Amino acid sequence: MTDIVACHDLSKTYRPDHLAVDALTDIELTIAEGEFASLVGPSGSGKTTLLNLIGGLDTPTAGEVYLRGQRVDTLAPGELADLRLNHVGFVFQAYNLIPVLTARENVELVMELQGLGTADRARLSRDILHEVGLEGLGDRRPAELSGGQQQRVAVARAIVSHPAVVLADEPTANLDSQTASSLLELMRELNQRHGITFIISTHDPMVMEFARRRVMLRDGRIVDDTVAA
Amino acid sequence: MSAGTVIRSTSPQRPGLRLYLRLAWRNVWRNPRRTLLTLSAVAFAAVILVFMVSMQLGGYGAMIRGATGVFTGDLQVQAEGYHAKQRLRTAIADASSVEARVAAVPGVTAVSSRAQAFALVSSATRTYGGMIVGVEPAKEPSVSTIPRTIRKGRYLSGATSDEAVVGQALASNLSLTVGDEITVLGQGLDGSLAVAVLKVVGIFSSGVPELDRQTVEMPLASFQSAFLLGDRVHAIVVRTGGLEAVPHVAGLIRAAIANRPGLTVLRWDQLLEGLKQGIAMDAAVGWFLYTALVLVVTFSILNTFLMSVLERTREFGVFLALGTRPRILGRVVILESVILLLLGLAIGTLAGAGITAYAGVHGIAFSSSEELLAQWSLPARIYPRLDLLSVTLGPAAILLATLVAALFPARRIRRLRPVDAMKAV
Amino acid sequence: MARLALLLRLARRSVLRNRRRTLIILVAISVALWAMIFFAALTRGWENDVVHNAIFTLTGHLQVHAPGYRDDPSVDHSMKPPNATVAQLLAGTEVAAWGTRVRVPAVVMSEHDTAGVTLVGIDPAAERGLSFIADAVHTGRYLDSPDDRGILIGRALADRLGTGVGKRVVVMSQAADHSVADRGFRVVGLFEGDREATEMAYVFVGRRTAMTMLKLGSRVSELAVMLRDRRQLPAFLARLRTAASGLDVQPWTTLEPMAQAMVALGQAWIWMFFVVMYVAMAFGLVNTMLMAVMERTREFGMLQALGMRPRLILIQVVFESCFLLAAGAAAGIGLAAGTLSLLHGGINLSILAQGAEMWGMGKVIYPAAAVVDVIGATALVVVLGVFSSLYPAWRAARRVPIEAITRN
Repeated sequence: MTDIVACHDLSKTYRPDHLAVDALTDIELTIAEGEFASLVGPSGSGKTTLLNLIGGLDTPTAGEVYLRGQRVDTLAPGELADLRLNHVGFVFQAYNLIPVLTARENVELVMELQGLGTADRARLSRDILHEVGLEGLGDRRPAELSGGQQQRVAVARAIVSHPAVVLADEPTANLDSQTASSLLELMRELNQRHGITFIISTHDPMVMEFARRRVMLRDGRIVDDTVAA
Repeated sequence: MSAGTVIRSTSPQRPGLRLYLRLAWRNVWRNPRRTLLTLSAVAFAAVILVFMVSMQLGGYGAMIRGATGVFTGDLQVQAEGYHAKQRLRTAIADASSVEARVAAVPGVTAVSSRAQAFALVSSATRTYGGMIVGVEPAKEPSVSTIPRTIRKGRYLSGATSDEAVVGQALASNLSLTVGDEITVLGQGLDGSLAVAVLKVVGIFSSGVPELDRQTVEMPLASFQSAFLLGDRVHAIVVRTGGLEAVPHVAGLIRAAIANRPGLTVLRWDQLLEGLKQGIAMDAAVGWFLYTALVLVVTFSILNTFLMSVLERTREFGVFLALGTRPRILGRVVILESVILLLLGLAIGTLAGAGITAYAGVHGIAFSSSEELLAQWSLPARIYPRLDLLSVTLGPAAILLATLVAALFPARRIRRLRPVDAMKAV
Repeated sequence: MARLALLLRLARRSVLRNRRRTLIILVAISVALWAMIFFAALTRGWENDVVHNAIFTLTGHLQVHAPGYRDDPSVDHSMKPPNATVAQLLAGTEVAAWGTRVRVPAVVMSEHDTAGVTLVGIDPAAERGLSFIADAVHTGRYLDSPDDRGILIGRALADRLGTGVGKRVVVMSQAADHSVADRGFRVVGLFEGDREATEMAYVFVGRRTAMTMLKLGSRVSELAVMLRDRRQLPAFLARLRTAASGLDVQPWTTLEPMAQAMVALGQAWIWMFFVVMYVAMAFGLVNTMLMAVMERTREFGMLQALGMRPRLILIQVVFESCFLLAAGAAAGIGLAAGTLSLLHGGINLSILAQGAEMWGMGKVIYPAAAVVDVIGATALVVVLGVFSSLYPAWRAARRVPIEAITRN
């Protein structure tokens, strides 16, 4: 197994005048291809910051981040954008979707940015919406979908172009437990069927049950890293 | 800002203006960038309007002063019908006594009588048609600027009866210089030939092309004898203390000569109807432009007002839920807009007044169109007039229009219901 | 291309999302453009009228005089009729009309009054298409021939002189030998001018009658030429100057400097107003776009997270302002076109005729939207509008604080 994500000596300190919450200290972490990992810890422990550093949304104060063996933290903003476009899928806690686009268009957005043709996009988005269980809802706008359905669209969008890693930041936080459970089920299925790597930050115990690997953060440091049998 | 402050103050007693003001003031500065942009828009419009209105009023003043000062005067007493059809026989009889009466009217600062007729003017080699004006050499300088615009020679002295001053263009058409002799050939009151032989003592350049092209001035007494007018004149030209006094003085003169039927008192705006209408037209175009500007600015900032309400729907919901009356919220919102508007208007009006005051001292030069301006009785430099009217007119119009715009979003608050408002994002 | 389509779709839908806000800014843009175009059309109408009047009130596109005539328009500065080379030029296809005239200052006397005028001796047929007079006869008849013994005077002058068709007037002027020439004429017609000043200024007689009266022999005062197309003027002028060497050949722009000055002044006013309106509108546009961008911080953050390059986000916002500007511009142009078509018959200024004359206008002004103004105003609003929306666009494309993406 090759490493999809590697972090060495990673630190993030927010400027003192900033509303500092998350900060990371000396993070050493590697995630292998095909893993389904959870980042757990109380809020303020640095989970979101770590995900953002891995996904190239934020730059570290010190240390290195590698994605598919490529150094991430030294890239220019434009290169970072391309990296995210082609190799990272994001799922956030809420407001994942562009409100003026339909579910299908939201899924196709990434492919459009990648420059995929209309026919390919239509085929892939149809398949993926079917796969996440949203068949027939493709023409609805986000406001016409339930919270769970919106998150499914977000997951569909995150995996549709086969990224190296999907980073999901508290994806179930706004969902009731039944909806959350089926969303997690879906992500694990996708992980198993397509071999897509998932890193999910959460403080939801249900997620921890689903994830084989559990990385625990506290006050910006990794305090535990276990792989379930 | 915190909701708690408001609630403590709203009940049980009615909150005072001081609280509204504090709330509104803080809200205004919640989004400084937006506030600054809105302030700039209002201030910009105010600067433009203050300056343009001052320019316009200053320009009109200069035009009227220029046009009346050169020749026409503030008022004229004429025989009825003379203004419409300038015929030799439509004259004021017994002119000296009328003039004396007019001169005695309070508010009249200068009076001079004139008689005029069209006649052929011949020099040694040339003949042109011209307007011959008989003037009182001693009094004319107090009602007309022509005596002060002599380019060569001097003005009529009044000492001899056969002097004449000639407009520059006419003089050049007649190939005249100072000292030359001209013959005036016209029609006397009885239809006989009127002849006068005059010596050119001066050549004037009044700046009004029409006057310079055709006017010859000569002593009134010689004119009256040449044209067989006796003691008749065509116009008693009156100057007053200022244009504002004209209507009042006109009334007084009218009363003073009421016992003389057949006479009429004409104000400058009746004598120079073209000027009055021209100003009216220019003003109309001005109002069109200003209205468009105010409208565009109003719509430009309407969105700001609307946004500042819409984005706070949730906050208003909290206020309402805590028992604040919608009317009070509406007042605070309107107060915010008023503060914003007054601040912008104050900045704009001050800046506009400053620029205008500077221009009022130095004047605005329209060097390339000097000749054109002269045609409209405008000097080469226009001095904008800064007064209460020109400073307040534009900003008042902006305030009115934008206040209406501010009421529109504030109305929405009255219809808000706490539960719905709280749900809004 | 796919990206462009995506950006356009995003921009279009975002603009349509907040309809009220969009509508309000559209009103601001369209009112601004409407006012710009309408004011420009009014000014152009005024300019056209001034220029048309200058050209048709006896000036033509160009004139030939004896040297010195322009400073001293008297019998002393007369010239021979066109020579063969000039005549050949005048026969050219670019010439629409031409005529020679006698034009000198004179005095007209009726039994009641006297007035100073310009006596114009014309070839009645040649004036068709050359000046206003052929079509201006209001009562009575036009002149028949250069030998016509009648006189045509303006309605206002007839009123002033207390004369009319069929009555006699005496015209006095200076003859070529410096004697005073006077001659009685029967008034055969009254003409109506667009301006009262024209009716007061000119009286028309047959050219040869005038030449005889003024003892001019075969000499005339001026040659006036009207071209088919005003744009041919510089070339034709140059050729005529060569052909008529020793004579003073001038275009209307030199002969009527006031008309030129008014056109220049009008131009300056138009652009001053354009800029003022643009600035007023730009404040609203920038503020509206800024609001639209700020409230969508999360959305732009999301797009960035998905890998949209900042430049594309910037372009999307610029597209949004393009849509607003284009729609506003279309509405403004439509509004202006509607207003102008309502005023197709011209704005009648008869009640303010004297005021209109002060500004060089006739009794009716025809607002005329010049293509260059419509394009200029639209370009100013749209191009500079897009330019001013770069600031909000830049704010949208900036790096978004990550918390903003997911936070409520």
